[in-house]
Amino acid sequence: MFIIEAQKVCKIFNKREEITAIENFSLKVRENEFVSIIGPSGCGKSTFLLLAAGLESITSGQIFINGSKINGPDPKRAIVFQEYLLFPWKTVRKNVEFGPLVRKVMKAERRKISDKYIKMVGLEGFEDRYPHELSGGMKQRVAIARALANEPEVLFMDEPFGSLDSLTREMLQSELLQIWTEAKCTVIFVTHSISEAVYLSDRVVVMSRRPGRIIADIRINLKRPRLREMLSTPEFSEYERKIREFVWAQV
Amino acid sequence: MRILSEFNFKKIISPLFILIVCEIIGRTRLIDPFFFPPPSAIFKSLWQMTITGEIFPHIAISVLRAVTGYIIAAAAGLFLGILVAGSKLFENIFDPLIELIRPISTFAIVPVMFVWFGIGNGSKIAIIVKACFFPIVLNTIAGIKGVDLRLIQAARSLGANGRQLWTMVLIPSALPMIITGMRISTAMSMLAIVGVEMLAADSGIGFLVIDAQRTFATDRMFAGIIVISLMGVTFDKIARFVQQRILSWHTDTSLAGTSA
Ligand SMILES: Nc1ncnc2c1ncn2[C@@H]1O[C@H](COP(=O)(O)OP(=O)(O)OP(=O)(O)O)[C@@H](O)[C@H]1O
Ligand SMILES: [Mg+2]
Repeated sequence: MFIIEAQKVCKIFNKREEITAIENFSLKVRENEFVSIIGPSGCGKSTFLLLAAGLESITSGQIFINGSKINGPDPKRAIVFQEYLLFPWKTVRKNVEFGPLVRKVMKAERRKISDKYIKMVGLEGFEDRYPHELSGGMKQRVAIARALANEPEVLFMDEPFGSLDSLTREMLQSELLQIWTEAKCTVIFVTHSISEAVYLSDRVVVMSRRPGRIIADIRINLKRPRLREMLSTPEFSEYERKIREFVWAQV
Repeated sequence: MRILSEFNFKKIISPLFILIVCEIIGRTRLIDPFFFPPPSAIFKSLWQMTITGEIFPHIAISVLRAVTGYIIAAAAGLFLGILVAGSKLFENIFDPLIELIRPISTFAIVPVMFVWFGIGNGSKIAIIVKACFFPIVLNTIAGIKGVDLRLIQAARSLGANGRQLWTMVLIPSALPMIITGMRISTAMSMLAIVGVEMLAADSGIGFLVIDAQRTFATDRMFAGIIVISLMGVTFDKIARFVQQRILSWHTDTSLAGTSA
């Protein structure tokens, strides 16, 4: 049983000109798997996430989540963007409670949820801050907590650490693995960093140039929990080399 | 005294200097005091109007007209702005209308308003509505249309439905622009009320000024102008205060806006 099953998905944007963003895109993901998507810029990675999150309509093909065909957004599927996209007029706590609030969860329960996830992302003490009072790394933690507050089955992440400095990025990578273990959900993670993909994932899939489809699917058999030291092992470098070859063939 | 220590004394140098120069010009009769009454005479007449209480009904009626017109304009501007920003159909219907009426000077429609609403309070309020409506409606439309599509996607992915998107995302996001429009309109309402009261009225602060001019009481005329200026400053202070209160989360204090 697969939690995500994309079959021959095609998406054509029809603005001024027709752009086929992805074509013949098929992907199967098992429950609680951590899968990274890597590929040249503009190949349709974000497009696939938006389709799978139900935020854009599919031109042809289909995507099943938990066996049922997707039909619009669903709180069971959360998405985290590179630009954080927090609500600037809400405090950290209110941002995290947004999902439960629109789902009409009672106040006391909402509070419990926000306490739990604010703690999980390490932001205790910052509950009453506004987004503009936070650093980039902290904002992304809030965005992650906000996504998790709906207790999603699938978490889509579109280059979530792309605009962070490398130190913050490394910290958040490790924390994300921790969170993923605790929150028990499936993660689809888009990134441009090969080492980030290898470090985090069970599988790394490589996409072709636009129109994007999957051209390689590499299982990462490094043992968990993943440790920073693994980055300098020959095994790790071998994975990186292999993926880099596929990626470079596309650019 | 915190207020006193925070007070910037350098800021009162230039007004004080001008007052002294005016006083000297007036006293030495360098210019006929009829054209240029010395500030002391102006303040004396202002003081007279205050202690006799004569000034207050004029202020009150002007404020009442301005506030009534402003509230109608704000309600209509918000409502129509949301409608136009939210629906292509309403945009196509109202956009040409807005674009046609907007450039017409407020005072160009004064005769029309007098014909339609008479020269009583109705026409004056209608003119204020015209003056205040456009900054509010245009900023509301621009504010809502300017909301980041990605922020809307984020909200939808978290489960927000259509109505919740409006009340919890679109309107709060557009609020800085909407409030800016409302602030611009407070200034517009003051401009319009004084102007229209000078054209036709038997009460109000604008009437007071024009009446003083007609009866050659130039010291009263200048006193009235000072009151108008004080009213304008007060309105703007209130508007700024409200803006800061509502937008305390907003980092950008010099918000851009569209004026009519
Ligand atoms: N809303 C849209 N309207 C029209 N074209 C779009 C739209 N969204 C994406 N595209 C086009 O689809 C293609 C794929 O875009 P997408 O954002 O999915 O790429 P990406 O792989 O995420 O790129 P990057 O790595 O730079 O983020 C691009 O050519 C883009 O111009
Ligand atoms: Mg992208």
